[in-house]
Amino acid sequence: MSDPLLRARGAARRFGAQVALEPTDLDVRSGEALALIGPNGAGKSTLLAILAGALEPSAGHVERVGGVRVGWVPQRPALYDRLTARENLELFARLEGDGAPVAAAQRLLARFDVPPDRPAHELSVGNRQRLNVALALLGEPRVLLLDEPTASLDPGQRRRLWEIVTALRDDGGAVVFVTQNLEELDLHADRVVAMQQGRVVPAGVEEVYS
Amino acid sequence: MSRVWLLLHKDLRVLRRSPLLLGVLIVYPLVVAGLVGLVAAYGSSKPRVALVDEDHLPRVARVGGESFRIQDAIDEVGKNVHLVRMDPDEARRALATGRVVATLTVPPGFLADLKSGRQSPALTYQTTRGGISSRVTQQVQALVYALNRKLQAAYVRTDLGYVGLIVRGGTATFAGRTYNVLGLARMQKLVQQLPRSPQRDRIAEFGRIAGVALTQTGSLLGATANPIGLERAREASRSSLLSAQVQAYALALTITFLALLLAAGAIASERDENAIGRLARGLASMGQVVWAKVALAAVVALALGLVIALVFGVIVQFGNVVGGEPWARLPLLAVGLLLAGAALGALGSLLGALARDARSASLVAVLVVMPVVFLGLVPREVSPAAAWVSDALPFTHAVRYFASSLYDASPWRTVGSELLWLLGLGAVFGALARLATRRLLA
Repeated sequence: MSDPLLRARGAARRFGAQVALEPTDLDVRSGEALALIGPNGAGKSTLLAILAGALEPSAGHVERVGGVRVGWVPQRPALYDRLTARENLELFARLEGDGAPVAAAQRLLARFDVPPDRPAHELSVGNRQRLNVALALLGEPRVLLLDEPTASLDPGQRRRLWEIVTALRDDGGAVVFVTQNLEELDLHADRVVAMQQGRVVPAGVEEVYS
Repeated sequence: MSRVWLLLHKDLRVLRRSPLLLGVLIVYPLVVAGLVGLVAAYGSSKPRVALVDEDHLPRVARVGGESFRIQDAIDEVGKNVHLVRMDPDEARRALATGRVVATLTVPPGFLADLKSGRQSPALTYQTTRGGISSRVTQQVQALVYALNRKLQAAYVRTDLGYVGLIVRGGTATFAGRTYNVLGLARMQKLVQQLPRSPQRDRIAEFGRIAGVALTQTGSLLGATANPIGLERAREASRSSLLSAQVQAYALALTITFLALLLAAGAIASERDENAIGRLARGLASMGQVVWAKVALAAVVALALGLVIALVFGVIVQFGNVVGGEPWARLPLLAVGLLLAGAALGALGSLLGALARDARSASLVAVLVVMPVVFLGLVPREVSPAAAWVSDALPFTHAVRYFASSLYDASPWRTVGSELLWLLGLGAVFGALARLATRRLLA
């Protein structure tokens, strides 16, 4: 079994009195594609945000083994609406500490074919999602955390995204993705973790969605 | 620090792309400052006082041998008080409900007592508690003082008439009877016609000395009535609209409005755009996010404050307004603008983090701006509680700093203490905002 890159131990999250995630243990290993499945409100996005470091756990912790870099594609695009796609990429590249932010932005703009100089709020839903994915790839992450990443992508862009995921895995990285798409599950997941009511459950696809 | 700069640069770029928002944010507080100035000027100059005339004063009254047009006298002395004639019941109701701040009653028999000179009649004055009652009391006292001065002048003239009658002789009417008075001068002539004797000489000497003494009476009576006079010199100051206080208020109000709204909106929009989660992944700490918003408020406050000072200065310079613009003080003003903007930005960040979304944050900031500003306008003597609350907010300290840094001959003491206040308040609000950013990640 390959080494873990991310390690969650007892990670839990409450929002006031509401429990979004029960204490959860999870390892994300090098070279694997792990799918999180479950009905709406199961705690998948919360677990992914905690793994990404975007949300602090109320209890427990997440370890990035060896300080591994993590890229995060949230379900709702996380970008500045009044900045252009290029400006968004350059800003986040600088925040990532990229030594050549302009080149990094240019490379990703070309790779994802996003209109570079239009404000993000003027982009189509699909282009915003492409930009959202491109932003996650800044800083050369070894682990990608994708929250329903293909929901608003066209087939060509989906194929390109999965090519990126495959290349990352082949290179010793890992991917964790949330999906409701059973075809993607069959094609791309090495391991499936099912969640219900804020906890990981030992169940298969049929039981989870029944 | 570079991350703060990156976020600040992003916010300034976003602001530059919202010219309409920026325009409204600049124009709105300036309009409000002007309106507040007008209302304050009106409020301070004309408190309403009910005048209850129970003596039914005539339009023209004859006192001390002179005619007084009563309404003219009231108009002249009531420049600082808006006197409204009311009957006793109406005045009582108006005072109870606060429609007037005081009542001034002319009691029955007032004019008769005044004419007789046998006893001094009194006006009755009643005011509300607290508020501006002490100021109104001063103005009513000034009104009575001015009336007394007019009456004194009339009495002095009447007295001098009697003195002149004694010195020069003539015809006079007193208590309804007409008298022919010999007078000292004519008495002297008659005495000279008498046979010379020591008694005649003594009477003549007395008449001479009495005549000299009585001719001095005029100036002595005037001095007795008014030991100290007050003359109004020619106007040698700015109009109230260009006063130092108005400039300080306009600056403080504008940057308060801008800094609170910008910081609140900017921090809340980080959540609206979902970017806060991306930043929280180690790209920028929540402390750095708050710092960036504080810096945004400070930079905009500095830029806008200096533009306002510049425009004000140009008006003063080319309008040949007395006093001039203290250009050399602009660097000192700039320090205050930066710190006041930062303290207000910290307060705005706190509001934005608590409100969570940009629309609520903007609304909350607008709702908070007005009480913050008006609390700062309430004089301490009117409401100590309001002053204490105001001390805990940056607006008042900004006003004091701006007024002192621009116009005090030696501003260092005030400027130093207000800087410490602004620093302290900024640190407290900044720390609270940092804590409140947890809500943004929820």
